[in-house]
Amino acid sequence: MAPQDGLTANIFKRTAPVPLRPLPLLRVDGLSVSYGPHEVVTNVRFDLGRGESLALIGESGSGKSTIARAVLRLLPSSGRATGRVAFDGQEVLDISERGFRPLRGRAIGFVPQDPANSLNPVRTIGAQADEAAALLDEPDRAIRKQLILETFAEVGLDNPQRIYDSYPHHLSGGMLQRVLIGLAILPRPALLVADEPTSALDVTIQKRILDLLTRLQHDLKISLLLITHDLAIAAERANSLVVLKDGVIQEAGRTAAVFSSPASAYTRKLRADVPALNPDRYAALRDVGLRALKTGEAATPKIAVNAVTKTFTVDGKTLTAASDVSFAVPAGTTHALVGESGSGKTTAVRLLLGLEQPDSGTISVAGEEITGRSPEALRSAWRHLQLVYQNPFTSLDPTWTIEQLVREPLDRFGIGTRKERGERVREALADVGLGEHFLARKPAALSGGQRQRVAIARALVLKPDVIVLDEPTSALDVSVQAGIVEVLLSLQANLDLTYVFVSHDLALVRQLAHTVSVMHRGRIVEHGTVADIFDNPQQPYTRSLLASIPSGVTGAAAAPHRQFRAAADA
Amino acid sequence: MNSAYLAYAAKRLAQALVVSVLAYILTFVVVSILPGDPITNVLRDPQNGFTEDEIKAIIAAQGLDQPIPVQLWTSLSHFVTGDFGLSMRSSRPVATLIAEVLPSTLTLASAAFAIALLLAVTIGYGTQFLPKRLGQGLLRGLPSLFLSVPNFVIGLILIHVFGFQLGLFRVIEPNSFWATLFASIALGIPISARIAEVLIANLDKESEQEYAAVARGRGLTQMRLFARHLLKPSSLPVVTVIALAIGELLGGSLITETVFGRTGIGSLVQRSVSTQDLPVLQAVVSLAALVFVIVNLLADLGYPLLDPRVKLIGDRKYRPTTADDSPATVTAAVTS
Repeated sequence: MAPQDGLTANIFKRTAPVPLRPLPLLRVDGLSVSYGPHEVVTNVRFDLGRGESLALIGESGSGKSTIARAVLRLLPSSGRATGRVAFDGQEVLDISERGFRPLRGRAIGFVPQDPANSLNPVRTIGAQADEAAALLDEPDRAIRKQLILETFAEVGLDNPQRIYDSYPHHLSGGMLQRVLIGLAILPRPALLVADEPTSALDVTIQKRILDLLTRLQHDLKISLLLITHDLAIAAERANSLVVLKDGVIQEAGRTAAVFSSPASAYTRKLRADVPALNPDRYAALRDVGLRALKTGEAATPKIAVNAVTKTFTVDGKTLTAASDVSFAVPAGTTHALVGESGSGKTTAVRLLLGLEQPDSGTISVAGEEITGRSPEALRSAWRHLQLVYQNPFTSLDPTWTIEQLVREPLDRFGIGTRKERGERVREALADVGLGEHFLARKPAALSGGQRQRVAIARALVLKPDVIVLDEPTSALDVSVQAGIVEVLLSLQANLDLTYVFVSHDLALVRQLAHTVSVMHRGRIVEHGTVADIFDNPQQPYTRSLLASIPSGVTGAAAAPHRQFRAAADA
Repeated sequence: MNSAYLAYAAKRLAQALVVSVLAYILTFVVVSILPGDPITNVLRDPQNGFTEDEIKAIIAAQGLDQPIPVQLWTSLSHFVTGDFGLSMRSSRPVATLIAEVLPSTLTLASAAFAIALLLAVTIGYGTQFLPKRLGQGLLRGLPSLFLSVPNFVIGLILIHVFGFQLGLFRVIEPNSFWATLFASIALGIPISARIAEVLIANLDKESEQEYAAVARGRGLTQMRLFARHLLKPSSLPVVTVIALAIGELLGGSLITETVFGRTGIGSLVQRSVSTQDLPVLQAVVSLAALVFVIVNLLADLGYPLLDPRVKLIGDRKYRPTTADDSPATVTAAVTS
């Protein structure tokens, strides 16, 4: 926001020839953003035409969200943006907040990444929706409310009145994201900035939300600036792509061109990391388990879950979280539990770990009965049965060093001498690909992928037979996820581990699992080998799950908005 | 107002009653086991000229020869009906003595509280929106400054500057409007500091939340963003601090009343302590405990109304799924 930039901008405006093609709705030119001395975005330029969609792609730390924030002028106070951002021909980077505020909401809408934290938790949805409706300058409160209810219906929310009266914590993530999209489109903005709008949601919900965004974009002629780390999603939904790495554009152009024949090595890597596009990427590693599956079918399974039922009582209503759930996992293989949120996956995991007792049925792990055990007896079972939790950002005590974290299970079980424990810790860290220099660090100094490796090492250190992986990569980027998957598979091949892999991401399941149980409303609706389920699904529910995997084709690439000029200046 | 809330309110009310009675018993027991017996001291004072038999008769008539539990019961049942006994020095009913000075103290305390809230919210707003170059850092330092200056010093400074130098009020008329106002300011400043500290910390936290950015993206003005989005969630922890600050208000009013020469509960307590007037002290301490219990009860009852996420029922059988499940407990359970 240096003054000379404003000057240049004005000169540019005065001397620029009348554009032959229509002015792009959003023109970003030479945009750099820095936090203190660190430049996180460098000289980024792209154009987004009216009614067009453009996706910014990259891993976390690539600066894609920072660009979105700079366009929205929502950078934290330590952030400094320089360069040009022109909205509808008007320079917006160096005008005052007072001058920019009329554009907020009215002209530029924002759909945030994490719907659960994006609405004020202590105010009703209606009260917050009214703020968006107020942008329409409609003085009559009743009419405003009617508009809100209509918008809620438009974004596919049943019973808008109930939503209006609810507090955010009453609604699921998918519903909240619909609310937020509704609030963003309510004042009919010309530009919608969606910052990873689905990365906190289930795959099936993700598809519905993206479909909704695409539909609204076409119906309301809104331009969409989509930020995502998933190349498949970007390719499905955007007319043009901008690929970023470390704040620098690697590649930009029309979606079809960039996606089918990527010019940069980085884009090719991003493409290779998307599970949906590369189902057989780890075939060699996975074959070890497949052989174990064939030989293990006759032997006693490592995990046997028999007709387990669990119900909870909430506010007098009975909720069946697991109903007659049975599955068996042969030693050295991976069994995937697949389903949406609320399908009973998490209850199944808690039952398996002995953290809940089933109402009926039995569970045994490595020949030992888990059900009906005292807490002391469960402790011995946990030596063979470990958990890797889904969110490495919250599952590691931030005040402990990595060495303490990984060593804790050994200390708790009193295994080996002090020296042996130290060696075992280093061994486990080496197994997950972390060097000794990590020992003294604390979780805050580690990236998400490194943290999840620590969590895996912590599970490995006891040399368990079975590791329960509860959505181990759902908090991570596609590229980081690929690294974790590789670690997990090579550990399994080398150490003969048995995995129970809980996930809603079918593409990932296809890459690493051997057998699959599809869960829906507490029941297993279909089970079989990965080949059975993916190549020949029997149940409509399974088919709908499979259909929601983003494939990188269809969608906006074929959308009827081609008359506008290519958005990105490659 | 649903049945869960009413059940919760009833439970909290019952708890508050129990605490109040226990507080009364505790003060009573402490007073009765203290060495020295001011009652017989008074009776045996040669100036009063009672004979030994008369003393015994008086003690028996007042029930003071009864076992402690019986005395406690008598005293408690009288207290509940508003009969706090007679002052030992003036022989007037304690209830009357307190009623005489209560309005003055209530005026002072409520004005001080209002000033404290106003100051705290103003400081809070400033820390969020005042540009750095216009002294945001100074504002953030204010609470520590307020806390580190004893309130009698603030009082003396105010008296000196506004009373003597500017002549806004006459020190010999402590109940005039201006004198009351400045006494309230002196009392309110340290309390505003406590509230402001917590408020600033929470405003900082809340304004970094995603929903604040989203709301800003919706085109809200600063004032609306503050009043509608930041203030309410930030004030939840403040409610607890306010409940605790009431105690400080009681203690602080004693000093402030002395400094400004006001008659009030503070001066009554001061006199009663120096003359060992136990019935007055017992009544004031018990009433103070009662005020404390009531304020905390109000805070507890207000909390669920302010924060819809507060769950009123303690142990539920149902466990929420992954999102709400504390990962630390799950992993800790498995590794330990």
